[in-house]
Amino acid sequence: MASDPPRDPPVLSPGATPRSIPAAISAIPLGPKLPRRFWWGFGFFFALTLVFLFSVTWVLVEGIGTLGLDIPAAWAFPIINTVWWIGIGHAGTLISAVLLLLRQRWRNSINRFAEAMTLLAASLAAFHPILHLGRPQYFYWLLPLPVTHMPWPQWRSPLVWDFFAIGTYLIVSLLFWYMGLIPDLAVLRDRAKRRGAQVAYGLLALGWRGSAHHWHRFETAYFLIAALATPLVVSVHSVIALDFTSAIIPGYHSTIFPPYFVAGALYSGFAMVVTIAVPLRAFFGLEAFITLRHIDNAARVMLGAGGVVAFGYVSEAYFAWYSGDEYERYMIWNRAFGDYGWLFWTMLACNVGALQLLWFRSVRRSQWTMFALAMVINIGMWIERYVIVVTSLTRDFLPSAWNTLAPTWTDFGLLAGSLGLFFALMFLFVRLLPALSISEVEELQHELKEAG
Amino acid sequence: MSVTGSARGTLRGRLETAAPARFWQVLEEVSAEGGFSHRFSAEFPEIAERLSGAVDRRTTLKLMGAALLSAGLAGCKPSKGIAPYVDQPEFTVPGKPRFYATSLVLDGYAIGVLGETHEGRPTKLEGNPAHPGSLGGTDAIVQTAVYTLYSADRSRYVRRGGQPATWGAFQAEMAELRDTYVSRGGAGLGVLIGAETSPTLARQLDALQAEMPALAVYRHSATTPRNPAVVPVYRFDRADVIVSLDADFLAEGPGRLAHARQFSDSRRVRREAAKMSRLYALEGVPSLTGVAADVRRKIRPGALDEAVSEIAAALESGAPAGDKFIAWLVADLGAAASRAVFVPPLDASLYVEATALALNQRFGAVGDRVIYIASPEIAGAPLETLVTDAESGRLEQLVILGPDVLHTAPGDLDITGALQRLARVYHHGLHVDRTARLAHWHVPAAHDLESWSDGRAYEGSASILQPLIAPLYGGVTKHQVLAALAGDFTSSAQELVRGTWPSLNDEAWFEALKSGLIEGSAAAATAPPAATSVAPATAVDGATDAVDVVLRPDPYFSDGTHAANLFLAELPRPLTKIVWGNTAEMSPDTAARLGVAQDDVVELSANGRTVVLPVFIHPGMPEGVIAVALGFGREIEGSAPIGVNAFVLARRDGGGVLSEVTVQKLDAKEHVVTTQHHHSMEGRDIVRELPLAAFPPERNEPAQPTLYPEYENPEEAWGMSIDLNACIGCMACVAACQVENNSPVVGREEVARGHEMHWLRVDRYYAGDGDDQRTLFQPVPCMQCEDAPCEVVCPVNATVHTADGINAQVYNRCVGTRYCSQNCPYKVRRFNFFAYQDFAEDNPLSLLMNPDVSVRERGVMEKCTYCVQRTRAAQIEANITDSPITDGSVMTACQQACPSRAITFGNLKDRSSAVAREKGEPHAYALLEELNTKPRTTYLARIRNAPDSEEDDGE
Repeated sequence: MASDPPRDPPVLSPGATPRSIPAAISAIPLGPKLPRRFWWGFGFFFALTLVFLFSVTWVLVEGIGTLGLDIPAAWAFPIINTVWWIGIGHAGTLISAVLLLLRQRWRNSINRFAEAMTLLAASLAAFHPILHLGRPQYFYWLLPLPVTHMPWPQWRSPLVWDFFAIGTYLIVSLLFWYMGLIPDLAVLRDRAKRRGAQVAYGLLALGWRGSAHHWHRFETAYFLIAALATPLVVSVHSVIALDFTSAIIPGYHSTIFPPYFVAGALYSGFAMVVTIAVPLRAFFGLEAFITLRHIDNAARVMLGAGGVVAFGYVSEAYFAWYSGDEYERYMIWNRAFGDYGWLFWTMLACNVGALQLLWFRSVRRSQWTMFALAMVINIGMWIERYVIVVTSLTRDFLPSAWNTLAPTWTDFGLLAGSLGLFFALMFLFVRLLPALSISEVEELQHELKEAG
Repeated sequence: MSVTGSARGTLRGRLETAAPARFWQVLEEVSAEGGFSHRFSAEFPEIAERLSGAVDRRTTLKLMGAALLSAGLAGCKPSKGIAPYVDQPEFTVPGKPRFYATSLVLDGYAIGVLGETHEGRPTKLEGNPAHPGSLGGTDAIVQTAVYTLYSADRSRYVRRGGQPATWGAFQAEMAELRDTYVSRGGAGLGVLIGAETSPTLARQLDALQAEMPALAVYRHSATTPRNPAVVPVYRFDRADVIVSLDADFLAEGPGRLAHARQFSDSRRVRREAAKMSRLYALEGVPSLTGVAADVRRKIRPGALDEAVSEIAAALESGAPAGDKFIAWLVADLGAAASRAVFVPPLDASLYVEATALALNQRFGAVGDRVIYIASPEIAGAPLETLVTDAESGRLEQLVILGPDVLHTAPGDLDITGALQRLARVYHHGLHVDRTARLAHWHVPAAHDLESWSDGRAYEGSASILQPLIAPLYGGVTKHQVLAALAGDFTSSAQELVRGTWPSLNDEAWFEALKSGLIEGSAAAATAPPAATSVAPATAVDGATDAVDVVLRPDPYFSDGTHAANLFLAELPRPLTKIVWGNTAEMSPDTAARLGVAQDDVVELSANGRTVVLPVFIHPGMPEGVIAVALGFGREIEGSAPIGVNAFVLARRDGGGVLSEVTVQKLDAKEHVVTTQHHHSMEGRDIVRELPLAAFPPERNEPAQPTLYPEYENPEEAWGMSIDLNACIGCMACVAACQVENNSPVVGREEVARGHEMHWLRVDRYYAGDGDDQRTLFQPVPCMQCEDAPCEVVCPVNATVHTADGINAQVYNRCVGTRYCSQNCPYKVRRFNFFAYQDFAEDNPLSLLMNPDVSVRERGVMEKCTYCVQRTRAAQIEANITDSPITDGSVMTACQQACPSRAITFGNLKDRSSAVAREKGEPHAYALLEELNTKPRTTYLARIRNAPDSEEDDGE
């Protein structure tokens, strides 16, 4: 992308200087007041967070039956949410780790909030399967703890692999995010005026003084964790996909899921990056740092990943036909024309139809069009998981067991509430921590200046 | 004391004038304020009576003493704390169940059962193989009878005018009644019974009538309104052509369990004996017998006479008419060796009954495939006579022994008005139903499992009912009520029954109790009823848009007798899979013509009486006919009525078919809850059906490669085979499974959400269409796959294989990921989405629990385990005695309950076991065997013996 024609928008506005960058970025967490609309936004999402808390409490008190689940479809919204959230997380890791290793300079101004997004999304993804247990209080039985009263985990079960995949992902994401934050926390400590902020940021900065030694070790560690995180971009969602692949149910039993889930993850993850980046740059005057170039690049990744997802749809249908298996063939027919057929077509319209707009440069460089498209794709990817998880289950092998599924208010409460929690925490993140990486943006500015 | 007028109006004034030295609680009481005493007497009338006078010192002391004494009475209650089992009753080993033979009386006839009791509480009933009415089989009603026994909505105390009274007071009342009427020869006194065969009851009624010749005995049974003097007894196992003239002999009538057994015995097609009987069925509305038929002809309900006369004429002339059904029948019966039997329905018209008798005589069935016996039932005047007697004043006081007549009386009979005219109505029953509430006196009845009584089976054999538990709720038997009326206040329930059987010495009596049958008491064959010549009724051909309504007793609730049994409420109806309610069942064509769809609410009106029901589309129904199940909507105190009472529509002339019924669509919806939502096999190889001519089929199942190691069987290798040709779809197995394995009732809303908890289900598919439409049943328990997909996906090892090849579920380990259910191709696992079990200690239903099976908590998965508690018990016993488990000695609950012996279970390692032989049959197959899960449960294909079965029209 370094060979982009010169008419491309710059990755960093030319006006940014070593003095203006930390000032502009740290102004958000250190500033005395944020615009009222920020708090309105936070208030809205905080209200949704309360819905989330209420729904979770209700499920824990009354039982898992308060969610729309039955036999045959014993998995529904929470598993869909898990797959969706973990997918969203992937873009952050890709941006921070993979693009760092690939020396993609443009990532520097969007990696921080993308990492925060990863962390929050992965936490929500980890939370849902636990809530979804019949007896969530015993979730730790999936751990190989040497306790005599507990069964040893069954290593053949993909759910055990899941548990470890998501756990690893959470730990690595947290380390990577915090690691990257340290120099910026030091900047905030130094720039903070109030004693409380100085102490808080100072403690979190772990004594960072910005010496050459520090920088040397920081860079080494940062790259090492990046290298550690990189395989996770592929492995976590592949492992989650194995929940489906290793099952016997038509619609689950397909080897295409791991690559297709990873592509879907990047697709929805970048859609979420755009969903966050556009309001962030528009409302906090960060146009200088998050430029249309970032939006454009995100759109290109979405185009690529979305193409793989579309290919996944085609090959899934093709192999269902080619297998000659009556159950597989019926599954595809049922997806398109069965009880949930309308969801299938909505999914195609969102994920394949809307995607085609990204071929146009004007669309890619119009931030609000991109925002709208990202929303459509976010919805489309959620529906995709619904189509996979629910339609396959409602019509499997024996027609006598077929049944439809009706979501309850608790399901929607969990979905909307988890979105609320996610965005409420994102708001707090923007308010309390540098949403953009100060040191890396400075580095970028320096490199650009050096490059001339 | 002078009181001014103004002061009298004030509280102070009244306080001044009030009598001194009274104990009081509120100021109004002292001042005799009108409002207080009014409210007080409304709330506590008995106390208010006694409160009139002032209480003096002596009375106060007396009351205090009484209060002190009654405090001690609390000690008379059963102890709530735990106590060691110090005085162990002889032969009782804690933890080991004991079995007692007794009988249940259903619709008047005895079904012999063996009751399993754990430390004195009956938990499960099995069929008594020695009893002719059971032959070891049971049905859903028998299986769930223990629920009724414990159910908290049973009547718990004697009531007089709705207020608690005592049995002694009732006996005193009976003595008074007796004094009044003995002198009058019983004129004005009546006894109303249901269908009854009890010899003790007959003896008591005879004795009463000897004393009071004018005593009226009325009989009301909504399921069998007719009570002919001579009844047929069939032997279907001797027949090779069975012609059902719209008779549902497999599901209705006192001989149904024996019929199912005989019928399926005549249809066990095996390698060495590839022959089976052929069943022709005329069928008005779909029935289990019609489903089992090889050749079926749909007729318009109410047009049976015509159809039968057509058949009779064709058989007479020997000329096959145009219809396939008749042509084949004529050809079959023309064969010299054919052993045919004709079966009229229980409520047959005189013509059909006479024709069936004539045909049976003509084809030599009488004396062989069918014999006639004197009806074992006690005769009585019908309900209409009761109403006219009440209206004319000939009847003054009535003792009702059982039937809820207010519920089951036809809508055009003003039974409420009739009973209200009577000076006194005494009611004896299990529940406080509408009749009990209207009656002046109500006495709680003892359940059959709490009773000493007796009864006769369909072929006349008598058996004694012995109590398995003392009456839980203070119930008394109907014999005790009649004894009180006869002036006998001291005989125990046992003595009353024992007195009926003086011919049995003590030894024979104990033998009868032990075996559950009185040897040699079967009725002797009598001459068939005299041939009558009756002309067939011609069905009224109403307007083409007329709709007929067929009222039929519900297969489980019957006429409402079992309507408080929630196990039955939640048991899917065999043909429709409907639970928790009745509906207007109609075919898709009829629905289209009426402009209604499933779940629409319609109002059916006939003769000015209406019922409002939701529509259920039932493809097997004939055009222009709506079927409605009776027995619903019974109003029992302590529980909400289930469904709608359709007796309102019934007419006193019976018949069950109403023509010219108006159907009006209402602007409402009511969801009909079913447990199966899709009815086509979608061309999949699920229920295999093959024509008899194609037997034996070629077995074509190449072993598929697998990555898993060969399964080893260090111990027994349990396996099951289900013969789809023997299964009649009656659902006894499902009910048995529920009772044996402590499966909860989850309620209507939960079933509607797909949360039902039956471990075993009987799938029902439709195949073919039009007249050729067939219904196929398939019981689906856990397949106990050797390579079970559920086992590999459980993250916590909660579902594992046992050494004997059972796919076990470890409830305590389960965290509830539900992945196992996801990965089960048969969807036989059930999940506790909520806390369905009531763990409250004072819940009487906790007594129903089988102590050998864990009660599952919220959030765990559960499933069929081949009744692992039974196989384990057998293995432990075998280990102790160091002897192998003999084939057939371990039965699963479903297998044991099955009246048609469709299920075989045993050790596959023993190559000579029955189950191994069944699995070696050419028509054995595994469900979804292409998935290579290697199921331990396999099926024997259903075989159709239609004359045209050479042309295979299977799916």
